[in-house]
Amino acid sequence: MDSQTKTRRNPLRRASWKWLAPVLVVAVGGGIAYAHEVRHQQWRDRLLTTLPSDVADDPALVAFARSEGAPLYAQHCAACHGADMRGNREIGAPNLADNIWLYGDGGVFEIERTILYGIRTGNSKSRSVTDMPGFGQRGVLSDGDIHSVVQYLLKLSGRQYQVEAANEGRRIYTGNANCGDCHAADARGDTYYGAPNLTVNVWNSGGTPEDLYKAIYFGQHRTMQAWFPTLSLFEIRALAVYLNAVSREPGAAARATLAARTAP
Amino acid sequence: MSALPAGGQVEPQRSWARRAMERLSARPGRSSVLPLAAVVIGLALAALGMFRGAPAPLTVVPPGYAALVNQKGVLLSDLITQVENATMKRFDEATPDEKRRVLHSMIDEELMVQRALLLDLPETTIEVREAMQQGVEAQVAEPYWALPPSDAELRAYYDKTRSDYTNDGTMIVHDLVMHVGGFQNTNQSTPQALSDAAEAVYRLRSGASIDYVKEHYDFVDSGRLAAIEELDFVAKMRLGDKLYEVASALGNGEISDPVLDADGVHVLAMDVRRAPSVADFAGVRDKVYQAYRRAQGERATAENVRLLRSQAQIILAPGQEE
Repeated sequence: MDSQTKTRRNPLRRASWKWLAPVLVVAVGGGIAYAHEVRHQQWRDRLLTTLPSDVADDPALVAFARSEGAPLYAQHCAACHGADMRGNREIGAPNLADNIWLYGDGGVFEIERTILYGIRTGNSKSRSVTDMPGFGQRGVLSDGDIHSVVQYLLKLSGRQYQVEAANEGRRIYTGNANCGDCHAADARGDTYYGAPNLTVNVWNSGGTPEDLYKAIYFGQHRTMQAWFPTLSLFEIRALAVYLNAVSREPGAAARATLAARTAP
Repeated sequence: MSALPAGGQVEPQRSWARRAMERLSARPGRSSVLPLAAVVIGLALAALGMFRGAPAPLTVVPPGYAALVNQKGVLLSDLITQVENATMKRFDEATPDEKRRVLHSMIDEELMVQRALLLDLPETTIEVREAMQQGVEAQVAEPYWALPPSDAELRAYYDKTRSDYTNDGTMIVHDLVMHVGGFQNTNQSTPQALSDAAEAVYRLRSGASIDYVKEHYDFVDSGRLAAIEELDFVAKMRLGDKLYEVASALGNGEISDPVLDADGVHVLAMDVRRAPSVADFAGVRDKVYQAYRRAQGERATAENVRLLRSQAQIILAPGQEE
């Protein structure tokens, strides 16, 4: 008796295999997907339950967060900070890959706070202690004063400057402009206020003398939205870990130096 | 040997799903079985959703939170910030007791907020309503403030609101009054008083002192204004509109014509007059800048309210339309 005859004689078995095979395939596939999802959920929970300050000590967790954070960055952050994370001077979006931070120490917790509540969003949990006044527009400094301060900034950041104007700029910096109140007397900035370090030649809104003049004349009031209402806690943590990890890669310091050298 | 179908052609292999569909469509009575089944299953699921109870309350704090207060989470990130602010230490350096104390104060605060919502404080308490309104206004204004105005915009705004930068004038003025038919000189008629006052004015303008006319013409200080430098609005308040109008037109050392008022005939002698003036742009740049920013915020709020109104359903009761 050939196989065809056998099958014909057992129609029930033939029919059940026809239906069972795809069901089995779906069941096995679903099982694998479910197991993957459970495993993924365990990683997510682990990422969120670990204290932010401890995440960086767990390479596997950092690797997981990076894989999750990279697409989130591309989707939500790259529009302003650039796909390469080098920032955008036109809108004052800082470089996120150079390990130089406006707010906090660049640790996961501080980055996470910035993403959670944003910068100058109008709510009191956001980073909004102060902003930079328009010294020219408000009539605090004259055009000549601002030019002198610009020369002093050029000196501070290791570029060519006019000696006399820079000396006058230093007097204004520590005098009636009170720049040191936020940027510190040594001009190394204060990450509590979000006042950048003026000595490293890294400029969020451009570093040409004209850019610096505009920044002092018109002031700065950059904003960043709070992502708490848009992203989940897990997504925010993953982004924070991702940014922290990228900025601490061995190349970050070199990138900062390169950026400083190539800055106008 | 397998049998070939008529015509000797091999029937192409078809999927099980397609064969099932063909079988169903071959029977006209069953063509609607699938849609019907879908409808029944859909209705059953909807019914299940309607009558199923609320999702089970969380009994475990989800990752990323430090506590659950009536199912509302207290963020771990907020706890870390609060602990660091309260203790001035890093979170991992704070003692368990310090962390616990801060966490419980946050729980208490959350309970109060929940209670406030339960009591409908936004509806009943003016301060809460104002705080909420200000919160929304601050949020919508921030992006506007990120764009600094150009100098031309600032100057145009100054030109438009020039009257806001007017300095108040000041004056030191003597207000003399000759009472008509009052306690001082009951027999004197108004025309007689005006005539005497005109003569006194002539004397004053010729160099006579105030004391001289007081002595010879029965003038007294009206008492409305002390002989000190007063801001214009104070002088206006005390002299009254009629006398202020006369006084504000006088220059340094000038004497007014006699002015008949309710209590007699007045003569005003201006010692020092500083007329009101509009401050120039350079002198009030900062004020203009601040006012411009405020106006930006107000404009943002107005636009936001317009948007909210366009999305809201607002029904007015009869008689409330006007």
